[in-house]
Amino acid sequence: MSQWLEQVIARGEQANLTGPRLQALTALKQQRWPTRKSEAWRYTSVTPVEQLELSTESAAPASPTKIAGLDSLDLVFIDGVLQQQLNTLSLPEGLTIQALTTLNTEEHSATALFAQIKPAHHLFGLVNDVLAEQGLIINVAPGADITLPVRIINLSSQGKESHVRVVVRLGEQARLCVIEQGEGQDPCLHTYFAEYQIGAQAHLEHYRLALHTGKALQVGGNHFRLLEKAQLSSTLVAFGSDLSRLDVDIEHAGEHAKAKFNAIYLLGTGETFDLHSCIEHAVPNGTTEENARGIVGDRAKAVFNGRIHIHRHAQKTLAELNNRNLLLSRRGQINTKPELEIYADDVKCAHGATVAEIEEKALYYLLSRGISRSQALIMLNFGFIQELINEIPNAPLANWLHDKLRHKFSQMEVK
Amino acid sequence: MLKIHNLHAKVEDKTILKGLSLEIKPGEVHAIMGPNGAGKSTLGYVLSGRDGYEVIDGQVELGGKDLLELETEERAREGLFLAFQYPVEIPGVSNMEFMKESVNAMREARGEEPLSAAEFLKKAKEACKQVHLPLDFLKRGVNEGFSGGEKKRNEIMQMILLEPKLCILDESDSGLDIDALQVVADGVNSQRSPERSFIVVTHYQRLLDYIKPDFVHILADGKIVKSGDASLALEVEKEGYAWLGGKAQEADA
Repeated sequence: MSQWLEQVIARGEQANLTGPRLQALTALKQQRWPTRKSEAWRYTSVTPVEQLELSTESAAPASPTKIAGLDSLDLVFIDGVLQQQLNTLSLPEGLTIQALTTLNTEEHSATALFAQIKPAHHLFGLVNDVLAEQGLIINVAPGADITLPVRIINLSSQGKESHVRVVVRLGEQARLCVIEQGEGQDPCLHTYFAEYQIGAQAHLEHYRLALHTGKALQVGGNHFRLLEKAQLSSTLVAFGSDLSRLDVDIEHAGEHAKAKFNAIYLLGTGETFDLHSCIEHAVPNGTTEENARGIVGDRAKAVFNGRIHIHRHAQKTLAELNNRNLLLSRRGQINTKPELEIYADDVKCAHGATVAEIEEKALYYLLSRGISRSQALIMLNFGFIQELINEIPNAPLANWLHDKLRHKFSQMEVK
Repeated sequence: MLKIHNLHAKVEDKTILKGLSLEIKPGEVHAIMGPNGAGKSTLGYVLSGRDGYEVIDGQVELGGKDLLELETEERAREGLFLAFQYPVEIPGVSNMEFMKESVNAMREARGEEPLSAAEFLKKAKEACKQVHLPLDFLKRGVNEGFSGGEKKRNEIMQMILLEPKLCILDESDSGLDIDALQVVADGVNSQRSPERSFIVVTHYQRLLDYIKPDFVHILADGKIVKSGDASLALEVEKEGYAWLGGKAQEADA
């Protein structure tokens, strides 16, 4: 048992937890601190969490990055503390947003909504269950079409530990766009878990911009449940840091639902990023398309574990999973593992994983047109992830990401 | 313009070019024909500087400069253009971005200002029309999902935009129907000028009905075994390469 985890449990015990939070605490007591022998953490070390030095000094005021041209409803957490008074916001009709802190003082604990969708096996998910005091409960009324994106921003500063929880529920035929954006680079620990229930025929456009980098440790998850004919389009963009880990779970709970999940990761020198995704097809006629693409720099390490589980009754499932990686250096590392578990016999399921180095033919083609080697490398390798950026329907966000990723890529060396 | 003297080159451990010599003056069109395996495509790759194609002997000068001393991209900036037999598909890089980078790299090498996006677009649209490609091809990934004929026309479009001094067309006719062949040939003919030279590598005489060569060379087993005027191509068409005898068979093996 690690000291850090003991301290989490001690804090949980002092907090008089009830409901799912109490269950999480009980589960946490039975968890082992992950080592390289734990399957879920085989390639990623949690040692940086134990070594993190916390500080009680107040942090310098931070402000969230602006995304030019993006009109959004911004909700900002700095080191886990919500900066807005929600009752002062004027919200579009059909959208309600409540702060976890306000709700918890009322009769019903909002935390009763925790862990309804998020599976119990994520260690840091349990930690978040126990420790998250701040967060948001977002509801979209049936039939409401909320065109203004909701942007949830998490800024982390030096020496701080923060735990934020979000629960989003879309009623039947509702539409919503959520952008989750996390930033920080100094030593800190941030856990952020979000659970989404997407009602029948509802549509969620979702982005997770996991941009913590450097010494900032981030562990989090996005967990989606799709009811009948629900649609999910989710895009993850991640940088790496000393520890950056995300778990994404998509559960087809209603028939004829469609899920599309694109993930892009771009890891600079020495950075680590670990993505575990799990798609559960529990019912027939579901469709899933998952594309994860990453560029791994010198001495950087990427981990991708993509599981698709098709239950016995989930006939006529269409599921595709693809992971492509590009190594910029012989000293980069990628551990990729697609996992298919299929118990139904009438399904279409495909998976693939590739790890490539720079493609000689394409490079030669660009050089033969007079383009310099360094520019050609940017064009070729960036093109690889640009395809996924091009699929982002929100144009200001796509442009911003394009510039941000390209800038980061241009500073990466090919060795 | 181009002087090749006694060129020997190998790929891995196999020597492909075995003493090829050829001189091309400004404005001339030279056709190179020959059996499979004679080294026709290798010549284009060696001249453009592809990795893995190693020159073991001989000299090549382009416009008075030692071509073999230059990197691939520098050769292109000196005005050498190779239209590929099998152009590469590069999804994720748009044709537009690719050609703009390329045109501006050439302009920079000539000491000219880069074209603005609008200026480039205007030129690109004209070139696109000239080779009968729809404008949305500019937005698509480089050669991504293009048919064989579209890829070849895309090569010609690049040639038009880049305004090279020496164009090497590597079997630009292969896989084309007669209409597409006409478009490719028209594109090439529109670029003929007293300053620009062409090497047209082809397996068949057919292309030379459309692009009239000044000289025809037969390449077999790594060197030029016969040179003549356009009538040589007709002779080959009639009689095949059998008259090359042992040499051709050796190259085919």
